[in-house]
Amino acid sequence: MTKIEAIIQVSKLEGVKNSLHEIGVEGMTVLEARGHGRQKGHTEFYRGREYTVDLIPKIKLELVVADTMVEKIVQAISGAARTGKIGDGKIFLSRVDEAIRIRNDERGEDAL
Amino acid sequence: MTTAGSLSSELRDLYTVESARIREEFASTGNGGMAIAQRTGLVEKITLQLWREIVCREEQGPRNFTLVALGGFGRGWLFPYSDIDLLFLHADRETEQAFKDRIRSFSQGLWDLRLKVSPATRILQECDRFDPANVEFSTSLLDCRYLAGDPDLFTRLHDKVIPKLMTREAQSLLQSLAELTRARHEKFGNTIFHLEPNVKDTPGGLRDCNVALWLSLLSSMDKLHDWPDPKSLLSTSARKQFEPALDFLMSVRCFLHFRHGRDDNMLSWEAQEEAAKRGIGVYETHELTAADWMRIYFSHARSLHRTATQLLEEIPAAWSSLSRHFHNLRTRVSDADFSVVDGLVFLRQSSALQDSEVLLRLFHFVAHHDVRLSTTTEYKIEQLLPSLASTPPRGAELWLYLGEILAQPHAANALRAMHSLRLLTLLLPELKTIDALVVRDFYHRFTVDEHSFLAIESLHRLLQSPTEWEKQYAEILEELEQPELLYLALLLHDTGKGVPSDNHVEGSLAIAEQCLERLDLESSERETVLFLIANHLEMSAALRRDIFDSATIAAFAERVGTPERLKMLCLFTYADIKAVNPDALTPWKAENVWQLYISAANQLNRNVDQRLHLDANVDDEKMIRLRTLAPMAGKKVKAFLEGLPQRYLRTYAAGDVLRHLEMSESLGKHPIQLDLKRGRHWFELTLVTNDRPFLFGRVAGTLAAWGMNIVKATAFSNQAGTVVDTFYFTDRFRTLELNLPEWERFKRSISEVLTGETDLERMLKSRMRAEEKKGTPKIKIKTSIQVDDQCSSNSTLVQVVAQDRPGLLHTVASRFAHHECNIEIALIDTEGQMAIDVFYLTANRKKLSRDQLKQLEAALREALQGIS
Repeated sequence: MTKIEAIIQVSKLEGVKNSLHEIGVEGMTVLEARGHGRQKGHTEFYRGREYTVDLIPKIKLELVVADTMVEKIVQAISGAARTGKIGDGKIFLSRVDEAIRIRNDERGEDAL
Repeated sequence: MTTAGSLSSELRDLYTVESARIREEFASTGNGGMAIAQRTGLVEKITLQLWREIVCREEQGPRNFTLVALGGFGRGWLFPYSDIDLLFLHADRETEQAFKDRIRSFSQGLWDLRLKVSPATRILQECDRFDPANVEFSTSLLDCRYLAGDPDLFTRLHDKVIPKLMTREAQSLLQSLAELTRARHEKFGNTIFHLEPNVKDTPGGLRDCNVALWLSLLSSMDKLHDWPDPKSLLSTSARKQFEPALDFLMSVRCFLHFRHGRDDNMLSWEAQEEAAKRGIGVYETHELTAADWMRIYFSHARSLHRTATQLLEEIPAAWSSLSRHFHNLRTRVSDADFSVVDGLVFLRQSSALQDSEVLLRLFHFVAHHDVRLSTTTEYKIEQLLPSLASTPPRGAELWLYLGEILAQPHAANALRAMHSLRLLTLLLPELKTIDALVVRDFYHRFTVDEHSFLAIESLHRLLQSPTEWEKQYAEILEELEQPELLYLALLLHDTGKGVPSDNHVEGSLAIAEQCLERLDLESSERETVLFLIANHLEMSAALRRDIFDSATIAAFAERVGTPERLKMLCLFTYADIKAVNPDALTPWKAENVWQLYISAANQLNRNVDQRLHLDANVDDEKMIRLRTLAPMAGKKVKAFLEGLPQRYLRTYAAGDVLRHLEMSESLGKHPIQLDLKRGRHWFELTLVTNDRPFLFGRVAGTLAAWGMNIVKATAFSNQAGTVVDTFYFTDRFRTLELNLPEWERFKRSISEVLTGETDLERMLKSRMRAEEKKGTPKIKIKTSIQVDDQCSSNSTLVQVVAQDRPGLLHTVASRFAHHECNIEIALIDTEGQMAIDVFYLTANRKKLSRDQLKQLEAALREALQGIS
């Protein structure tokens, strides 16, 4: 099993969710995040005061999926989230040792 | 098999068979009261058989040891999966030691039967002590009941120890009970209106019922030093609502226990559906929807909560000394009509409520001082409602009071009190659609009416918030000119959820229009409220896009139109999200809302001079309204508006635009047309005249010379060179406020300065001398001058932020004039000590050159330094 963590732009969330639904992925965790890579921050002046946003609001998606689905899902996320500009985000993959469904104690891929 | 073994088996069979029978009977009758009585009887029977088998076979034995039922078991309210509270009471330590093993076996026997026992062991002496860390034990004694063992020992407990304890410790017990109850209520947001309530612990649930009974019992025991007659515990009127509510909740809790197969008291959506279908607790012949069934639930929860809350608050007052009572009467919170005793409002004259004005002032009092109505006051209001229903207050008079109530710091509490008494829906029938309305979604935690009250409350609470990001919101809340319109919009914004429609916003708008018509709001006020309701989801929608993208910001700003509306919409969004559930408005979301707000605010200030061109058919809402109001003036309106900025149409109501048109048409009679009126917070002076150099600065100077403090101003001009300048100012020395004849002299003075008949500099000199004596301000604002040459295609934007002081605007505007810069548009605002002035300037009808800007900036800095 593989954990997919994707940092995407806020405005891309609906598109990514739709893309994932289209390939049969229903379960995911969505987290509010802030961050930046090479994307610069944003400064705005308001009423004589400076408001600097160094950490841009982002959305982090987390999914744990069967290994056979990983590439398909990565493509779906990338395709929906990409604009081609700095700030599009990143996807990280990591191994998961076990998954357990709390309701009925199912384990492994059956729990996904 | 041993005797104990066969008894255990026998009892297990008895428990299983009888429990199934009780369940079947409940399934058929839905009668919770009967089910719990039957279960209590069953458990008692089993307990006594086990007692005789394991502890003592003698009737009423052994001596010095007794088995007592406490808590729910003692009351005879044993729900299907409730714990069984037992007290093993001993006369002394020796008896306790002697029976230790048998008690263990006895408890084990009950556990083996799958009965969840909560045992307590005490000697009689210990029951006389109050432990503040274990209030539950002391309150459970109030429900004690003899089961088995030494009856004399029980009698000593019941007739001597408990009354003595309760009398001696009543204050402490009540205090502890009150604290526990308040903490529990706080945990559930101090509201009964949860979409999925816990029927035991949520305010208005069975725990509140227990609290009400304990409080009554303690109060009576204190007076009588003995147990009272159970029938005397609650007043007749309280009992009328209390008993049906209790019956209902008992049935619901039994239903939930049987449904879940455990002590789970959560009334989930699925449980609500099933309860409605089965008609749990109700006797309707037709099937109810889940929403209708929940309304019945909330109605009962309201009664229980109200009884418990009233008793919580009134019992300390009943014990107040006479001097404390008179002291309270003399406190500054009490007034000529209302007295406050221990935070409860009483009427000095009970007949005063016949006057609806007094009734509304009562709620204003509650909203202002954060006090509650006493039971007697509530009762009087309830008595009044039938006659009030025939001629309810309405129109501008009602709005006058309602607007004031909404603006008070504790408005939400006043609204809840009015709602609970059914007064709010009498005054605003539009709210009936959302009364205790459950609308299911995964985010909202509360009913729609409670959500609206919470939204209002969250804004008022902003002003006390210590967090940095909430302080930012608090600042713009304090700047609002008419905050009551925002609160009214919050009250009405979800009324559409109570009527069938695809889109609740459309439904809410239709309902709000009726309400605003009935309240007789001015047209500009109606427009604002309807705008807020129509667009209350826009900011949240914009957050789902890229809030740093200029196109997103521009589109959003275009939709909002003016800074005042932007502020209101920003606060509306904050409040609406915050009231969904306690975790809904995360700092992440709040910061994004704020970011969008400041970007849009800057956009609005930098995009002001998009001009109106009416060759094309403009179907703006305002234009439609103008055509409706003045159908014959079409061409004249068009000519007047041509070349004015779009902001002009967004700033002024249709009625105002027509007035300006009239003034411009009168320029032939007099070249300076002035209109002065008194607004809610400040005076408003509108000047319509032909543009000329130094115009804006001279009016600003004249106002300064009269001691007026300009808080806001706008200046617009059309293609024909007619200017419409509006100055909003406060009358620092109350010259106009106290002297009506001065109004004409004031207008004449402005006119004479503009025509050159009066020397403005001489007027200003004496005023400035007086101002110099006042000394330096406490808060120092650093001067900043920002220039933006890109935001407009035909003007240069100059923003000046500086210390607010008399004559500032005159100084700045005069510098522009001296450098031959024309003010195309001015947007003047003040925030506390900070003046924020935005000007769109041209020189010879073009943007300013770099050199011109450099010279202007230097001149401004020098001038501003000179008057600091």
